[in-house]
Parts: sequence; C-alpha cells; structure tokens
Amino acid sequence: MSFDEIVCREFAELATDYLDGALPDATLELVEEHLAMCDWCRDYLGQIEATAAAVSHTPAAAPAPETLQALVAAFRDRPKEDRP
Amino acid sequence: MPPGTAPRPETRRAPDADAHLLAALRAGDESAFAALVTRYHATLKRVARAYVSTDAVAEEVVQDTWLAVIAGIDRFQERATLKTWVFHILVNKAKSRGKRERRIVPFASLSRDDDGPAVSADNFQREGEAWPGHWATPPRPWEDPERRLESLEARERLREAIAALPDVQQAVLTLRDVEGLDAPEVCGLLELSDGNQRVILHRARARVRADLARYFEEPA
Repeated sequence: MSFDEIVCREFAELATDYLDGALPDATLELVEEHLAMCDWCRDYLGQIEATAAAVSHTPAAAPAPETLQALVAAFRDRPKEDRP
Repeated sequence: MPPGTAPRPETRRAPDADAHLLAALRAGDESAFAALVTRYHATLKRVARAYVSTDAVAEEVVQDTWLAVIAGIDRFQERATLKTWVFHILVNKAKSRGKRERRIVPFASLSRDDDGPAVSADNFQREGEAWPGHWATPPRPWEDPERRLESLEARERLREAIAALPDVQQAVLTLRDVEGLDAPEVCGLLELSDGNQRVILHRARARVRADLARYFEEPA
C-alpha cells in the first residue's frame, strides 16, 4: 500500500475496518481523503453497510419440531437443584 | 450516513436482552426454554459447522450444548450474558468434537492473503491503464435497497448468499451481523485476533454484497 494515497482497490479491503473504527489514524486520514473525492467508493461503502443491515434482519431457520420437543422434554425432566 | 459517523458496535454495550428469559428459565418455564432454543438453534449450528465436518455432527453438537445449558442454568453466574454463555459452551463442545474428528481448527490459519481480495482484481484498472487501482467496473448504485430487500425473494437470495459462504465466514458474519456480538466478544469466542476477525467479516460482507449487487441488477 502506498503511503500518500489510497486507491479504490485498497479501500475495497478496508471498508469494514473503517466502519468498525479500527483504522490507525494515518490510514484513516487517507481513507477520508479518498472518500471525499470518490463517489464510487462511497457507493461501495453504503452497499457494505446496507448488506450488514440486511443480514441482521435474516433470522435463521427454527429447529425441527421433533428436536424442539425432545429438548423441551429434557428441560422439563431436569434434576432440580436446591434453591433458596 | 456521512463517513466516519457509522455506529461503532464494539463501544456499545447493550443490556442482556435475554435477562427476562433467564429468570423464566430458572423458574422452570418451558415456553421460555422453547423460545431460547428457537431463537438460537440455527445460529449455533452455523458456528458449530466451522469446527466439525458435517451438518449432522454440527446438529449433535448443538443438541449437546442445549443439554449442557439445561444442566448448568441454575449455576450460571451471569458474568457474561446468557447468549455469550451459551455460545461459549457451543464453541467448547464443537472444538473438542472437531479435535476428535482430527479436523484442523480452521480459524487458526487465516491471514489476509489466503482467499484473494474481498473484491476481485478484475473490477479494478490494472497497471498501465489510465488509473491503476481505481474502479474499472464501479459499483452501480442500488435503488431503494431497504424496500427491495424486504421482499421475500430478496430475503431468500440473501439467505442463499449467506449459506454459500465458507463455513468460517458464515460463523463470523452470523455472530457479528446477525446476532450483533461485538468484535471483542467474537475474538474471545473464536480465539481470533482482532485483525483476522475483521478480515473474515469483511470478506463475508463483500461476497454477500456482490450477490446482492447481481440481484439489484436484475430487472425489478
């Protein structure tokens, strides 16, 4: 990576570090200079954010009903510890 | 959102969203336990799958995890959230199962160069072209992504894109972006360095982004 400029190919690798606030100060400065002048990388960054947001609304599938029933039965039958 | 103002998940500590479940579990509330299993079962399986060789073994590991949760719930000390505690049990079980299968722990060997760049080099101008390293095929703007991503079809595509990721990327993406664990929690859980964790997460997001980009380019 060059030290005076970030190019799009380099920013494409750094977007998550940027969103996490994990870039060292010197790199952060170069990234912000780049983003200020590159519409395409701003689009890319927005799409990475939109992707993370979309993923967060993707609930995983529920367990098989018979698995759930068996586990609930195990919970029901658990040995009770002495509680105050 | 302007650059630099993005939320920084690792600095935000939410109260334990499952706190109410814990009290109910300790009181023996079966519907609370069913809710917990329903909520986390598939996520646990995705994480387990990064350590063991088949879906069937991952399913066994998750069921063993639930039995350990049942056995330990009265003694759970609340030094971590309920969710983090459950994930730690899962990872320990998955890891020892993976060792018995003589599977190399996948997270240990990852570095920035293992798997090629997050965005293919073909998308950028090469040396000798007018602007080396700049976009040759720039990202096309997405029209109204929130609305389009609400459709069932888009959700199905998204689910397929996640399922097609390498196991390790699925695990990290699921923990960070689906479950909302912060970076230090994920590093501790999967024994990853901060840098590796972020590289894996970014590759996962970049692949899913590329799949969504293809979806957005299809006629609506």
